[in-house]
Amino acid sequence: MISLKPRSILLISAIFRVGLILVGEWQDTHMEVRYTDVDYLVFSDAASLMASGQSPYKRTTYRYSPLLAFLLIPNSFISRCWGKFLFSASDLFVGLFIRIILKQRKVPDDLCTYSMLIWLFNPFTFTIGTRGNCEPIVCAIILWIIICLINGNVVQAAFWYGLIVHFRIYPIIYALPIVIFLDPRFFRSGTKPLLSDWTSDPGKARQINSELIDKCAVCDVWKSTFTRSRILFGLISGTVFLLCTGFFFHLYGWEFLHEALLYHLTRTDARHNFSIYFYHIYLNYERELSVLEKLVSFLPQFIVQLVLILCFAKDLVFCFFVQTVAFVAFNKVITAQYFVWFFCVLPLILPWSNMKLKWKGLCCILLWMGAQTHWLLWGYLLEFKGKNVFLQLWMASLLFLAANTFILIVLIRHHNYGPVFRQHTDLKTTKTT
Amino acid sequence: MKSYFENYESLHDSSFEDFMAHQLSSSLCQGIPDNWNVGVRLSVRELSLVGEGSHRHLSSSIRLQIAAASIPKLPAHLCEVIVIQRLPLGVFADPFELQNPHKHKAFRDIAVFGDTNLELPSFQSNRSAVEFHIDAGFNILFMQNNGTEFNLLLPLHARYQPLDESGYSVVEIGEPDMLMRCSVEGKQHKQSCLFMSPPNEKAKSTSATVAWKIPAGMKAHAGFVSVITFVTALLSTLSIVYASMFLSGTKVSKT
Repeated sequence: MISLKPRSILLISAIFRVGLILVGEWQDTHMEVRYTDVDYLVFSDAASLMASGQSPYKRTTYRYSPLLAFLLIPNSFISRCWGKFLFSASDLFVGLFIRIILKQRKVPDDLCTYSMLIWLFNPFTFTIGTRGNCEPIVCAIILWIIICLINGNVVQAAFWYGLIVHFRIYPIIYALPIVIFLDPRFFRSGTKPLLSDWTSDPGKARQINSELIDKCAVCDVWKSTFTRSRILFGLISGTVFLLCTGFFFHLYGWEFLHEALLYHLTRTDARHNFSIYFYHIYLNYERELSVLEKLVSFLPQFIVQLVLILCFAKDLVFCFFVQTVAFVAFNKVITAQYFVWFFCVLPLILPWSNMKLKWKGLCCILLWMGAQTHWLLWGYLLEFKGKNVFLQLWMASLLFLAANTFILIVLIRHHNYGPVFRQHTDLKTTKTT
Repeated sequence: MKSYFENYESLHDSSFEDFMAHQLSSSLCQGIPDNWNVGVRLSVRELSLVGEGSHRHLSSSIRLQIAAASIPKLPAHLCEVIVIQRLPLGVFADPFELQNPHKHKAFRDIAVFGDTNLELPSFQSNRSAVEFHIDAGFNILFMQNNGTEFNLLLPLHARYQPLDESGYSVVEIGEPDMLMRCSVEGKQHKQSCLFMSPPNEKAKSTSATVAWKIPAGMKAHAGFVSVITFVTALLSTLSIVYASMFLSGTKVSKT
């Protein structure tokens, strides 16, 4: 059992990240292969353009909200590492928020600690922020929204949700589950919703939750769609999104709208990436894809998202996780930084999984890493050795999707599904016959 | 190159050669009688591609020769060699990479002109050119009889190529165009003017190119790749839907 205190874990994590940032600076200066992400140079250039009163979109390939460039303006006059420290601090906040969420749900201390460690010492996640990738900010805000929701703070949750959808767009997939989650049985005016506590007994969990899962989520939505909480959430988040978007459109015009929003909605990239669609897109790049083809490629994503939401919305954190895994896996473009989107939610669902690390858990980890490594090997031969291995690389991406699907199904099977909230009146367990 | 793109929309060899022949000739150094007597010779001694895969370096070894008698006439400290490397469709130089002061501190200036989009495939992009300005003063002052050499290492990246039955596309990169520019005393004030190699000297080495073989998609794959991609997506979808509805803890309990 780990006996490290959370404060110590955060301190060690912080020191480790500062060290990585400093080593990264040395590597950038003295070695051929840079440590810093290419995107960080893009953000920094955009920030210095903004600092000199120009549009950040003068920097080619800057495809983010001007907010990000604004946050990095100190790169120009404090230190070029300012952004990395900001992203790494967000990274630490994610670890802290993981603990806050789990403690609120009465998860035992050791499980909370393991969950924090899974995020803070995951090699993938600690390199993301220290290399200058901005995803930790997104993750921290998503987790803060979860904290607001489980504390019944709908207004604040809505504000941050509107902001984060403006900042990164993909969290729009959480809109419907949040609306379903704002169930009037739990969200009553003037009353804080009651959290369902963690339990190690899956049988007890099913018993407690049985009364709440015997109704179709769709029926709940249609019965009581326009509740105060839901309207408030929709209005506030929509207003924040439109205000931010409108303000930056006023400042930077169509260039902002195209680069920061429309590009991401319509993005197809013929260059190789983890998506199964990349080779299909490349082979058909010279002709316009028909409406039917575009629809067919969008349908799997749409169907999976809808089914996952309808099945798991009440268990909001688990719903976020499975939705994000599926969203990334079925996306037309997949780059490694997208994995952080579900890595930040993974520690929050593990205490509710009855899958043991030995050996099922380990197998899932090895399968996922193996499929990724397999793809990377073919990618290396194509990009760095100049071999025509497009077909093999595409097959590797099919295997990667298969691995993601398999692991998702295993996690669904082993998850002790349970709504986050319970009703204010005492539950009577129902007898099943 | 800036002047070129003020007059032309995109880079074509014929337009560029026309530009070099006619428009730059008006900038040749006139104060010194018979420009060619200065005996400036700029030639490419060696041109090669270094590295493998989609990211390589174009290595150019350039020799500058000036007739010994002419060296004292030149304002050496005010001269620079200008090298213009025209790139074919299919490869590009990253302008931000070229701004890296650590790698390119030997150059007075480097810039990329033309299509600088880093992401488009070659069949949706236009050509580009890279212009180097190298301070020639030190090299002129201490020039040996056989001239002085500059080595350029230009990082290049391959774009995605048009589909090809063979699975590869070959891109050829030719020698760069070279000039020397000096600030000389004119009749009234200092002005910059250009020295170029005599046309007959330049023509000798125009046939040297390097070939870069870049992987390309094969049209024969199009049919089955699309079908299998969509079938795989469909199977994954059905699996996840089945697991969510029937294998998870969200079963409807019977009372």
